[in-house]
Amino acid sequence: MEIRLENINKIFKGDKKKGVEDTIAVSNLNIKINNGELAGLLGPSGCGKSTTLYMIAGLKEPTSGNIFFDKEDVTHLVPEKKGIGLVFQNYALYPHMSVYKNIAFPLTNLKVLTFKQSLKVKTLSLLISLLDNDKYLEIKELINSSTLDNKKINKDLALRNLINKYHISPSFAKTLFSLDYSSKESILETINKAKEDINKEIAKIKEKNGYTLDNEFYYLDQDNKKIEEKRKLSKDEIDILVRDVAKLVQIEEQLDKKPKELSGGQQQRVAIARALVKKPRVLLLDEPLSNLDARLRIKTREEIRRIQKETGITTVFVTHDQEEAMSICDDIFVMNNGKLMQEGKPIEVYKDPKNLFVAKFLGTPPINVFKGEFKNNAIYVDNEKILDNVKLCGENYTNLTFLSCYVAIRPEGFVFEDKNESLGLSLKVNEISLSGKEQTLICSHEQKLSEDIKIVIDGDAHISISEYRFTTKSNKIFLFDLNNEERIYFENASK
Amino acid sequence: MENKNNYKGWIYLLPAIILIALFTLYPLINTFLISFLEDYKYATGSSSGFTFDNYAVLLGLKEFPDYLTGKGQIDAFFQYALPNTLLITFITVPISIVLALIIAVALNSIKKLRTIFQTIFFTPYVTNIIAVGMVFGVLFSQTGLINEIFGTSISFIPGQGSDAPTYFHAMLVLCIEIVWYELPFKILVFIGGLQSIDRQYYDAARIDATPKIKRFLHITVPFLSPQILYVSITSFIDGFKEYQAIAGLFNSRGTTSLNYNLYTCVYFIYDQIQTGGQNINYACAAAVILFVIILLFTLLQLYVSKKRVYY
Repeated sequence: MEIRLENINKIFKGDKKKGVEDTIAVSNLNIKINNGELAGLLGPSGCGKSTTLYMIAGLKEPTSGNIFFDKEDVTHLVPEKKGIGLVFQNYALYPHMSVYKNIAFPLTNLKVLTFKQSLKVKTLSLLISLLDNDKYLEIKELINSSTLDNKKINKDLALRNLINKYHISPSFAKTLFSLDYSSKESILETINKAKEDINKEIAKIKEKNGYTLDNEFYYLDQDNKKIEEKRKLSKDEIDILVRDVAKLVQIEEQLDKKPKELSGGQQQRVAIARALVKKPRVLLLDEPLSNLDARLRIKTREEIRRIQKETGITTVFVTHDQEEAMSICDDIFVMNNGKLMQEGKPIEVYKDPKNLFVAKFLGTPPINVFKGEFKNNAIYVDNEKILDNVKLCGENYTNLTFLSCYVAIRPEGFVFEDKNESLGLSLKVNEISLSGKEQTLICSHEQKLSEDIKIVIDGDAHISISEYRFTTKSNKIFLFDLNNEERIYFENASK
Repeated sequence: MENKNNYKGWIYLLPAIILIALFTLYPLINTFLISFLEDYKYATGSSSGFTFDNYAVLLGLKEFPDYLTGKGQIDAFFQYALPNTLLITFITVPISIVLALIIAVALNSIKKLRTIFQTIFFTPYVTNIIAVGMVFGVLFSQTGLINEIFGTSISFIPGQGSDAPTYFHAMLVLCIEIVWYELPFKILVFIGGLQSIDRQYYDAARIDATPKIKRFLHITVPFLSPQILYVSITSFIDGFKEYQAIAGLFNSRGTTSLNYNLYTCVYFIYDQIQTGGQNINYACAAAVILFVIILLFTLLQLYVSKKRVYY
């Protein structure tokens, strides 16, 4: 499912009497999310990303603009009819229901249009196929081995084993369990009885409305066409779907527990399972990892990525954590103050930020911003030349010989002990933190605009608390306009 | 906290303890004792010994002794007061809880005119039941507004110039009045509960295409279950103690065609005290019976709630 937002605006009405201004939560937003993609809406809190998500979900209605799922306009469709799955920030699991019931809940509302099938004949045929040709010995063996401490056969365990092995419903498992496996004769008798019942049922269907059954037990009318019917899912069908999705998110063992008996990560999985179980067209995740601790967060985001890849479902993921978005998203949409700042593949956005906001927002440690100048075809910070042979691009800038601007340098853009006398930036190192293969230096500088200057260099470099001169990598330097904070592109002829 | 024999705490509590002991504990124990005394004389405090007869007579297992007066009243306990009390309780409590729940949900879902409707529904709470009874008496009189609206002339309330009402009609008005009078407190509790339910549960249910009625049954009711339990226990207790509504509405023990038609347990106890207290041992026994019934029902509700209430 492709999702398209066209000129979306969302204004929360203020109260003029009380002097509360209207709040523009989202303004003129255009987003296209491709089919099967994991897209991240990224931005600081209050940037309108959650509002955007809720508008896609239908829980909030846009003030103007349109939302499309493929070619269908779903702007004003109520959430009930949108066919989406939504995972809430605090999961919103029903605390009074077991995990199983939580996951099954969406299915109990679902109505499906299917071809009419004789479930009775289907079940009986399945029974025969499982028992015939001495295959019943396998089942017998499985039941007999379902013991705790090698004592008595544990019924619940046996049922669970049967369900897991043969992928059958609990009621059918109970039928299998209750059969008499003592002799071959009794099994043959069961098989014959089932065959008899099948013939009886087929005759009954024929007699009642003249329908016949095809090989897969679908009803066929006189013209050999399948009969359609709209119905709710049966308990057995729900059971299979719930167990399938529980397996996908790996919570099969927790199905009988109540949500509050689970850990945060498990609750998260249950919430995802509940959103996925009805096979939605789109999966929406609202800050899904914010309630988890750091380690679990990394694990769970990989998990979300895996589940998304396995199901191939178009997913929108809202987060304020750029690292999260960068690590798992196919495409990210960076938002600020209700506006889309930049979109694209995470690495491309990182390498090529279009404005100061995006540059500052992406990357850990954050980018270092200085006040600097362009003059004499070189870039200066505090009268130190950090890059020469520079030519500005863009019609507003090409002819300029002098320009004050923001100079932003990524932490990994500094090089230590480079023997270049003419270029470089002097920084006072205040703190050093070594983390294995690299070390992070916290420095200060007269012209810094970001809180700290953090630079990352090779862990082997010998450095102490003192002042050093660093050279810089040209592709890690970005210039931004002082007025509108837009990117100023430049060409560097020296490399 | 560290010193468990903190006498200061006890001194602070002393006034309350003295009052409770004097006016609650002592009467409680005394009531229990008197209920087992034979021929108890209120004035002298004398009795002719310990007996279970008071209970037996009240529950219709034994004849009221010939040498005492007031047979009709004592017999009315088992004949009318006890069945009426149970009937009133089991009709009014479930109806008023369900109604209150529906009204609370409706009030909670509207924005405009909400305060006006709230005020309308809360007026009974600040009105005296005797005054309410008088108003209902006028409304339901044989020539009153209700009969006017339906174009009938049914007698609901006994009184001058009207026919003797049937038991059914008198009970009907009584139950309507009690339900109406009991609503506001319940609505108040339910609205408080409703407002503490996180909207996200409803959003989640909407995303999953849950019909409205199912949202009510599977989200609202379970989340309100603590409030429902609280309201149901307190209203059952109130129901079993019903008395003022009858006094206010009928100005008597409900004389319809028979003398004690709308008698209730508390009314019976009150009557025994009022008439000079010659049969006060029976009143005490009735009080104990009522206490046991209330206790049993409360325990039953607590038992049921263990499975059905989610905190």
